[in-house]
Amino acid sequence: MLWTYLIAGAVALVVLLILFRMVWRVAEPNEALIISGLGAHSNTDQVNDTLGFKIVVGRGTAVLPGFQTVRRLPLDIRATPLTVTCVSSQGIPLHIKGVTAYKVGDDYGSIANAARRFLEQSDEQVMGTIHELFAGHLRAIVGSTTVEEMLHDRETLTTNIRGSLAGDMEKLGLVVDSLQIQEIDDESGYIRNLGRPQAAAVEAAARIAQAERDREATEREQVAAAAKAAAVRQSSIAQAGYQAEVDQAKSKASQSGPLAEALARQEVVVAETETAKLNASLAEKQLESSVLKPADAEAYKQRTLATAARDAQIASAEAQAREVALRGEAQAKATELTGKAEAAAVQAKAMAEAAGIKARAEALATNTDAVVAQQLAEAYPEIVAAAAGSFEKVGNMVVLNGAQGIEDTLVKTITMGGSGFALAKQLIDSLSSKENGQHATLEPVHDESA
Amino acid sequence: MVGRRGRVIGRIAPGIVGEVMLPVRGATEAFYAYPAADEVIEVGTPVVVVEFDPPRTVYVARAF
Repeated sequence: MLWTYLIAGAVALVVLLILFRMVWRVAEPNEALIISGLGAHSNTDQVNDTLGFKIVVGRGTAVLPGFQTVRRLPLDIRATPLTVTCVSSQGIPLHIKGVTAYKVGDDYGSIANAARRFLEQSDEQVMGTIHELFAGHLRAIVGSTTVEEMLHDRETLTTNIRGSLAGDMEKLGLVVDSLQIQEIDDESGYIRNLGRPQAAAVEAAARIAQAERDREATEREQVAAAAKAAAVRQSSIAQAGYQAEVDQAKSKASQSGPLAEALARQEVVVAETETAKLNASLAEKQLESSVLKPADAEAYKQRTLATAARDAQIASAEAQAREVALRGEAQAKATELTGKAEAAAVQAKAMAEAAGIKARAEALATNTDAVVAQQLAEAYPEIVAAAAGSFEKVGNMVVLNGAQGIEDTLVKTITMGGSGFALAKQLIDSLSSKENGQHATLEPVHDESA
Repeated sequence: MVGRRGRVIGRIAPGIVGEVMLPVRGATEAFYAYPAADEVIEVGTPVVVVEFDPPRTVYVARAF
C-alpha cells in the first residue's frame, strides 16, 4: 500500500516536473521573450498598459500552452553594409561605402517597438529595411555636405547622421552601436584632384626637406669626417706620443738591464776587489809571517855574521897592514941605505966616465980625425964583420976578373967603411957643436927600483 | 534615470543630437542626448542626466 502511494507520488512528481518543464520558458541573455495571449499583460510601468503583451528579459516565466504564445526576439547586434550612390552639395556624384552595427534597445519600450515591427521577419527583410533607411538618411546628409567637409570633418558627418536617424531609430526600437563610413569614391576624380595641390606641395616640401636634410646630412657628414680626421690625427699623435714613451720606457728598460748588470757586476767587482785585497793582505801577512820575518831574521843573522866577519877581516887586515908597514919601513930603510950606497957608487962611476968623456972631448977637440980613426979602428972588427955579413948569404960567389976582381970587391967594402967613417966624423962634429952651444952635462941616473 | 552619470561619445550642442553612454540595467547603453542648457559639450566629458525622455533620449548637463 505504501509502495503504491510512493509510486503514485513519484509519478505525480514526474508528471508535475514534465508539466512545469513544458510551461516554463527561460529567456537567454541575448533575447527577449514576447508573450501574448491569455492574461499576458505588461509587467512594467515604463510601457504603456495598452501594450497587450508581456516582455520577459533575462529570466524565466510560465507560458500556458494553448492559451499563450511565446516568441523570441534576438537582442544581439547586427551589421548591415551600406553602399550608397549620392550627390554632394556641390553636385559631385559619390559612392559611399560604410557599415552600421545596430541592435534592439534593451529597454522595454524599444523591445516593444522592435517586436511590433520586426518580430517574425527574416534577417534579410530587416537588413533591407535598415539599409534603405540608412541610405535615405545618408543621401540627405551627403546632399547637404561638401566633399571637403565629409573628408575632413567625420565628426560632423556622424553627428548629422545621428541627428537625422535619431527619431527613426527610436520608432524602430533600435540602437545604433556603430556607424562607419569606410570609403568615399567619386568617378570624376574630384577627390584625387582635390589632393593634388596638397600632394604637390607635400611632395615639394618633401623634396625640399629631403634636399635640406641631405645638405645637412652632408654637412654633418663632412663635419663628422673632419672631426673624425681630427680625432684620428689626435689619436695618431697621442699614439705616437705613447709609442715614443713606450719606446723610451722600453729602451730605458732595455738599458736598465745592462745598467743593472753593470752595476751588479761593479758590485761584484768591488766585492771581488775587496776579496782580492783581503787575499793580498792575507798573502802579505802570510808572506810577512812566513818569509819576511824569517828573511829579516836571516838577514840580521847574515848581517851580524858579515859584520863580525868584516870586523875580523878589518882587524886581520889592520894587523897585516901594520905588519906590511912595519916590513915596508924596514925594507925602505934597507933600500934607502942600499940606494944611497949605489948612488954613491954610480956617482962615482959617472964622475969617472965624465972625466973620461971630458978627456975624450978634449982630445977630439984637438985631434978629431985621430979620435975618429981610433974609434973606427976600435970598431973596425965589427965593421968588417958587418961587411962580411953581406956575403954570408952568398952560397957560391964567382969573382970575375981574377985577382983584380977580388981586390976591387975588398976595396969597395973598405970604402964603404971609409964612407962610414966619414959619416961618423960628421956626426961627432955635429955633436961637438951642440955641446959647445948648450953645455950639456951628464948627470948620474938614479935607479928608482934600487 | 535622472541623476545618473555618463560620458559623452557624440558631441552635444544646441540644435543637434549628441550621444551619451549611461549605465542602466546592469549594462551600459547609448542614449540620444541634448544639452540641458545652451552649451557645447565635447566628446569624453562626464555628464549627469537632468531629464529623461523615454525611451532613449536624455537631457544632460556637465557633471563638474
